[in-house]
Amino acid sequence: MSDLKTLSQAVVKGNRKDAVEITKTLLAAGMKPLDIVENGLVPGMAEVGEKFKNNQIFVPEMLIAARAMKEAMALLEPLLVQAGIKPKFTAVIGTVQGDLHDIGKNLVAMMWKGANFGVVDLGTNVPPEKFAAAVKEHNAQVVGLSALLTTTMPAMKTTIEALKKSGLTTIKVIIGGAPITQEFAKEIGADGYAPDAASAVDVARQLVAA
Amino acid sequence: MPLPGLTIIGESINDSVPSTKKLYEAGDIAGLKELAKSQDDGGATYIDVNVGKRAPEFLAEMVRHVQSVTAKPLSIDTPDPVMAEAGLRACRDGMVPVLNSISPLRLGMFDLLKIRKFKPILLVTERNENGVGQPNHTAEQTYETAKQMLAEAKQHGLAVADCILDPGISPIGADSEGQFQRLMKSIRLIHDDPQFAGVHMSVGLSNFTVMLPPKRADGSPTKGPLESAFLTMAMPLGLDHVIGSVKRKYETLTPDHPAMKCLTDCLKLEGFDVIMRVQEFYA
Repeated sequence: MSDLKTLSQAVVKGNRKDAVEITKTLLAAGMKPLDIVENGLVPGMAEVGEKFKNNQIFVPEMLIAARAMKEAMALLEPLLVQAGIKPKFTAVIGTVQGDLHDIGKNLVAMMWKGANFGVVDLGTNVPPEKFAAAVKEHNAQVVGLSALLTTTMPAMKTTIEALKKSGLTTIKVIIGGAPITQEFAKEIGADGYAPDAASAVDVARQLVAA
Repeated sequence: MPLPGLTIIGESINDSVPSTKKLYEAGDIAGLKELAKSQDDGGATYIDVNVGKRAPEFLAEMVRHVQSVTAKPLSIDTPDPVMAEAGLRACRDGMVPVLNSISPLRLGMFDLLKIRKFKPILLVTERNENGVGQPNHTAEQTYETAKQMLAEAKQHGLAVADCILDPGISPIGADSEGQFQRLMKSIRLIHDDPQFAGVHMSVGLSNFTVMLPPKRADGSPTKGPLESAFLTMAMPLGLDHVIGSVKRKYETLTPDHPAMKCLTDCLKLEGFDVIMRVQEFYA
């Protein structure tokens, strides 16, 4: 049976073969690519996020699910581009200057892609100016800053200052990483704090809707 | 009873441990001292002290508090040279603490040896390229950095046996890029090179199993056996320290133990297959 619900479940289970096959079948049956993304893949990843928040699944399951989604998306993306359909909003993400840790940042990028945000991943050790330039270049609405070290936390503040200095006053900044707290986010003027990758989706959605 | 040949640097007094963070935030010094004592009793050789992002004087104060309940040497855990200095100065006379840690990007911390003798943990997971940190993605790069860090340590008057190399352990549950293989190969390269004879090696062992569920499908624990399996593989290659938990029963496993089979397979697998093999172990 190939319908959107089984596609969602293939993503939740991380079954990439099924995810790809069902996507192909749905396309062949004439379903619009955007429908498949929004009503099949995105709800699947949303369920993954929920289960993760409730400790029903863990990072390995999340990674495997995201890979299934990614492979299905690889079929859909060219069609979306062809039809001139772009993600509703774009997020820039990176680990701040001086910090080389990338696992947390990668998980957030994955979950954002899973929610069908456009994601520009700048990698690790990203200077403040590079964040500002990328936000401008890609017309991003959200920027995610990651740091694992207490010594690199100040670079988050420097990055927020660089964004403001570049005239990017409406950009929403979300921060996260092991030593980060809600209080720290407030202290440095970040718009949001995400304690984990699944929450990062909710926080981004709320901030963009606001 | 700790595993023979394994030195445990007790990890619990760390601001990034949620239960400890609460103690810090509540100013519960008695609770923190109790934590120090329980790690001493549990067999830790060193007590790590990490106060997170707080004032240098607070770290010094914590050092004194911990010393008031244990005779064990401490591990001063901060990447910040100013904090490290305050922590080292507060250590009691005659103690040789561990300094956790010096990386290629903060070689200036070797100058703290002028204050007192310590054993540094030398982080060799990143290298310094013209002042910019670059992660070491291969065992060969890690090994090169280890050689450079050892040379730096010697220049500052340290003997090989004063040095504790940290080749970096990554979460096995997110290891789609061969980090575990890089680690095992790095350890072997260091172990096989005579210039490193007598050097110590350490990893932050709890990091290996972070992000995994606490229990396997049959209700048995996930993390302890995987950590023990890693030790079983790495200790014969010279890994003799961990920053870890005294509550874990680290042990040597037989080759037919499911956790040993899992890690042995992981050494042969690539990409996502590693993650899926770990999942197979607990699911």
